[in-house]
Amino acid sequence: MFQFGLALPISNMVALRGKEFQLNEKELEDGNVGGVDDEEFESESESDPEEVAVSEPAKNAVYNKEALLEKLDDIAWPQNIEWIHKLTVDHAVEQEVDVNDDLARELAFYTQALDGTRQAFEKLQSMGIPFLRPPDYYAEMVKSDAHMLKVKGKLLVEKKKIEDAEERKKAREAKKLAKEVQAQKTKERAKRKKEDIESVKRWRKQRQQSGFARGKDEELDLSPDEEKSFEKSKKRRTGVAPADRSGGFKRKGGNEKGRKQREFREAKFGHGGRKGMKKQNTAESTNDFKGFNKDEFSASKRKKK
Amino acid sequence: MGKKRKHAEASEAPKEEVAQDRPKRTLLGWKDGVPEKQNSSPVFRNREKVLVTCSRRITYRYRHLMLNVVSLLPHCKKDSKVESKESKGATLNELIELRNYSSCLFFECRKQKDLYLWMVKCPSGPSVKFLVNAVHTMEELKLTGNHLKGSRPILTFSSNFDKEPRWKLIKEMIVQIFGTPKDHRKVKPFHDHVFVFSIVDGHIWFRNYQISVPHNETDKVDRGGLDKMTLVEVGPRFCLNPIKIFGSSFGGPTFYENPFYISPNQIRALEKKKAGKYSKKVKAKTRRKMHELSNPLEPDEFADLWKD
Repeated sequence: MFQFGLALPISNMVALRGKEFQLNEKELEDGNVGGVDDEEFESESESDPEEVAVSEPAKNAVYNKEALLEKLDDIAWPQNIEWIHKLTVDHAVEQEVDVNDDLARELAFYTQALDGTRQAFEKLQSMGIPFLRPPDYYAEMVKSDAHMLKVKGKLLVEKKKIEDAEERKKAREAKKLAKEVQAQKTKERAKRKKEDIESVKRWRKQRQQSGFARGKDEELDLSPDEEKSFEKSKKRRTGVAPADRSGGFKRKGGNEKGRKQREFREAKFGHGGRKGMKKQNTAESTNDFKGFNKDEFSASKRKKK
Repeated sequence: MGKKRKHAEASEAPKEEVAQDRPKRTLLGWKDGVPEKQNSSPVFRNREKVLVTCSRRITYRYRHLMLNVVSLLPHCKKDSKVESKESKGATLNELIELRNYSSCLFFECRKQKDLYLWMVKCPSGPSVKFLVNAVHTMEELKLTGNHLKGSRPILTFSSNFDKEPRWKLIKEMIVQIFGTPKDHRKVKPFHDHVFVFSIVDGHIWFRNYQISVPHNETDKVDRGGLDKMTLVEVGPRFCLNPIKIFGSSFGGPTFYENPFYISPNQIRALEKKKAGKYSKKVKAKTRRKMHELSNPLEPDEFADLWKD
């Protein structure tokens, strides 16, 4: 799959004789220079008379078959040499392969190679020559280790990309589901609350109808503030510091940042205690002339004089 | 420098006959049983030596392609670049004669765009000029296959190589140039990759696959092991479009000319002419006119409302 995936961009780059030619002409006629749709052009270009003229073979082309065959005889190896010298295999092609169909083309090459290899290996095997590399035979390879490492890296990156995409997709779905679950939960909670209130009301009505019969003590104690049981009681809690003006209701800890800020401000501007002492002069501050500019003062005095 | 002898002549050279007669020596004396296997067919020795070089100002991709080819052919020699001038043929012929090469692959890059490949049998053999398309080097194709450097490839050809004389000739040249000699000193004794040469749409397509057989199967290769064999592509990839076949090396009489061949320069020129600003405007105008004719405006019912 990996190989075929790579094979795809080829057809766009292949400048095939007439094909590219036709493509360009058609493209301009249609007037859409930007978007190129190969298949469309292929199918349309068949009927155009102009292009047929272009892809027509040149008439004065030389083809000297006798000379070619003579030359072939000249350079050819002797006919009776052993196959092991040549290592060639012919592969019969059943049908024409469409050049622009990358997958079909590559598949044709692959089958040719596979079939050829099978035939060759059978011949080698019949000769009784070892031909497969033993697993412990190490030697220099065509591609260096650095290159193979790169290839591996690329594979890993691609794998990771796919995994990440899947994870994101999963997370998105999970989020959607969680939202639904949450909505259902709040709905349920509201319903339950309503039910509780209803039941309490029913119970009170019942008691009222029965004329507040003294049956169960707990129920009587509960009745005065039952309505307020849903609200927070405003009473001061026990064990709260007297300086705490919130009466212990202020959330302890709070958020970390806010508390820190508060502490900083208190350290800077002061909090609690008398302010007066800070604003009064002392003996030291009285004798300290740091804040005055003596020279300027005297200079202005002199000017006046 | 004497001319290189033909293979057939080399095999019948009298020297070897003499060498055969001499019995082999062992430590203790002469060996009696001299193997007499060669007398049935003359000894054939493949002494292929390929010169691989390129023109000056070749672009990096094509240079990498050349290096890939060099790494695939243990029996080749890389040489310094040659200026791509009219006289390049003479220069290369001289070089070939000097070093006794038997064939040459010359990658010629023109205009930093187009790659031509000269496949030449030396010194007297034919030469074929190809336009190289769809170039993908090993480096840019991040393919997982890998194979031994210097193992002999199995060459597979599609059957349409035997249909026409020109393809036959090209096939023979490919067999000789891309096939690694059997007893070459750099060759490794295993076969773990396969070359594909296939003619599709008048072009020769090249692919290189690694043959991978599961490891436990390697010791006892039987039918089962071969069935489990898979191929992994190694690269590089390219596609050869034959332009011309010449009679001698880097020149000579033209034996074949591809009638369908249009040079990339011509293609570009036509493209430029067609894509000009003026023609575009004219086309836009006519298109607009056609559009207006085909979609006429409806008569306006309020057109003469304020005429009076």
